[in-house]
Amino acid sequence: MSKVALELKHVSINYKDLSHMSLHQSLAKDGVKKANIVHAVRDISFSVNQGEILGIVGRNGSGKSTLLRSIAGIFQPDEGIIDTKGNRVSLMAIGIGFNSNNTGRENILKSGMLLGCDLNYVKAHMEEIIEFSELGDFIDRPVRTYSSGMYSKLSFAVTAILDTDIMLVDEVLSVGDERFRKKSYKKMEELMLSDRTVLIVSHATDTLKKFCNKILWINDGQYIMLGETEEVLNEYDKFMQL
Amino acid sequence: MKEKKIKKYKVYRYLIILLFLIGGALIALYPFRNQDLTIEIITNGEKISTVLSSGYVSDNDKICFDFSHVKQLEVKEIRIYRQIKSICLQRIHYGELPNYMQNSESSYFEWTTNGATFIDENGVHIVMNDVGSELIKSLSSSVLLERILMAELWMMFCVVILSVGEMHREKTSENSYRNFGLVFEAKRFFADMKKYWSYMLFSAKADLRAEVANSYLNRLWWLLEPFFNMLVYVVVFGHVLGRSIENYATFTFSALLMWNFFNKTLNYSVKLIRNNRDIVTKVYVPKCVLLVSNMILNFYKLLFSLIVLIPMLLIFRVHIGINIIWIVPAYIMMILLSFGLGMIFLHFGVYIDDLSYAVGILLQMLMFLSGIFYEVLTSLTAPLNMIMICLNPAAVFIDTMRNALLYNRVVNLPILGIWTLGAIILCCVGVHIVYKNENGYVKVV
Repeated sequence: MSKVALELKHVSINYKDLSHMSLHQSLAKDGVKKANIVHAVRDISFSVNQGEILGIVGRNGSGKSTLLRSIAGIFQPDEGIIDTKGNRVSLMAIGIGFNSNNTGRENILKSGMLLGCDLNYVKAHMEEIIEFSELGDFIDRPVRTYSSGMYSKLSFAVTAILDTDIMLVDEVLSVGDERFRKKSYKKMEELMLSDRTVLIVSHATDTLKKFCNKILWINDGQYIMLGETEEVLNEYDKFMQL
Repeated sequence: MKEKKIKKYKVYRYLIILLFLIGGALIALYPFRNQDLTIEIITNGEKISTVLSSGYVSDNDKICFDFSHVKQLEVKEIRIYRQIKSICLQRIHYGELPNYMQNSESSYFEWTTNGATFIDENGVHIVMNDVGSELIKSLSSSVLLERILMAELWMMFCVVILSVGEMHREKTSENSYRNFGLVFEAKRFFADMKKYWSYMLFSAKADLRAEVANSYLNRLWWLLEPFFNMLVYVVVFGHVLGRSIENYATFTFSALLMWNFFNKTLNYSVKLIRNNRDIVTKVYVPKCVLLVSNMILNFYKLLFSLIVLIPMLLIFRVHIGINIIWIVPAYIMMILLSFGLGMIFLHFGVYIDDLSYAVGILLQMLMFLSGIFYEVLTSLTAPLNMIMICLNPAAVFIDTMRNALLYNRVVNLPILGIWTLGAIILCCVGVHIVYKNENGYVKVV
């Protein structure tokens, strides 16, 4: 049995709906208590071995993205422990820290550094990213002049150079035109062949079937099942039938 | 068990508040004896000082400044100090002298454009009239400044022991994960700063470039904005309201630069998490990094504005001396304070929507109270100016910086020290609050 790369123990995450609180409300005595608490993830435990590719499925709003974000360290779970065993984790997300008035090149540097890369590392991979993003001359124009497809291509290209032990992928594969999509699939395959641990959230069962060793199914924040790809996906499809 | 503990901390908190109040009352009411006064006469290029002992001041009805060894004295300004040499209590410009002075028959005295000249063969005596004597007496008997300073120190001491208690409570409470005390947080903070330093620099530069990317005048705006602000103030306060301050343009401009940094940093910090939604929701970044990045951006602009300030200093022939180095501690205090307050505003700004309005209004009020367009010490009336200088940190850093830059004078050192200490405490509190709660911010925005 190979090494465990990531382990979650009884993880629960709550959202408090505090977003529109005014000064008056917060000064009121029980302002916080009145706020609704949403249980996004309830008591989920699982572990992933190194080199494994785990797909996560579930309906909209079932807490998949929340789970990924807390694994990435964007926020702390309210209960339970997320143990990454000292591995570096990164979440592939679109358009991190992009400023639409900066050129593509500047945004690549900024985004890359935010994702935890060294300035020199990003500079060294600059050509690779630009080539991958297929932007050509547009790379030196402000990002606000980009089409939405170009924008997503650029941001996917940045995340593709990341070199971390655990990758979390949140539905970023359906980006750009057909050609670019194929290219990103290829890139993903490359990533997966290496000894990386990958967690993918997706609604595209085809994608999951192609890549994953295992599937985790959560519904309304609760653990339903974890098992072999075929098995879980069949169950999931049955559940999702009208 | 848990209940008991909460109760214990409540008692501890009340005890400290009580301690603070008792100490404060003691400082406020303790009958300090009358103090000696130092009178400093500024002439063209030199200073002559004399000490009035407290006994002399309280025994005599008519106060007289006695310079028996000087035959001729050209007075530009009279400054009066108590024990603390860097905080002036009262400054009397030579133009105001007739209000405080009695004409003495024996000495010859004349107005010139540079000051009031006294000539006396037996040594110069400046005899004060009733108003002047009253002023000197009140300065000798009131210990307001010292009382406020002591109260400030006492308050900081109480805040420190209060936060030590809080720290202990948090450490021993049940959900205390990732809270390892002050040293740990300081280490973590500096590690984060080091790790993200290149990002912060780059991001600040990129943001600056983005800001000017679409404008015709480009970077010139960073010069034009403070410059025209200054023009407005010079016209409104200098000409319409008729303030008589030498080099009024430099006087306002140098203060405005500092204020703009402070103001912009704080205004931005309240909205920081919301403005950086894209970053905060997608990747983990220590939130202090975002604030420091903005401060670097503001600092770039400040440095850029020096392009205007330095020629202004040259044009108006401001005499620059060695004491100019004292602008460095003033700036350090300002930066620490804006960072500390910024971190605290950042935290509450996430949860409270309308805090940005409140902070905007408060800052506007503070701006008019901080002596950007006037000198706090001379423009405000007697007890108010001391209170403002002691309790308003913005007035402290502006006053210290301006005196060092324009008049080659060292002022307000004890207050500057106290506020630097206070700013450091604020920084610690701010960093602690943000580190403790930053993982919850994503859930709110």
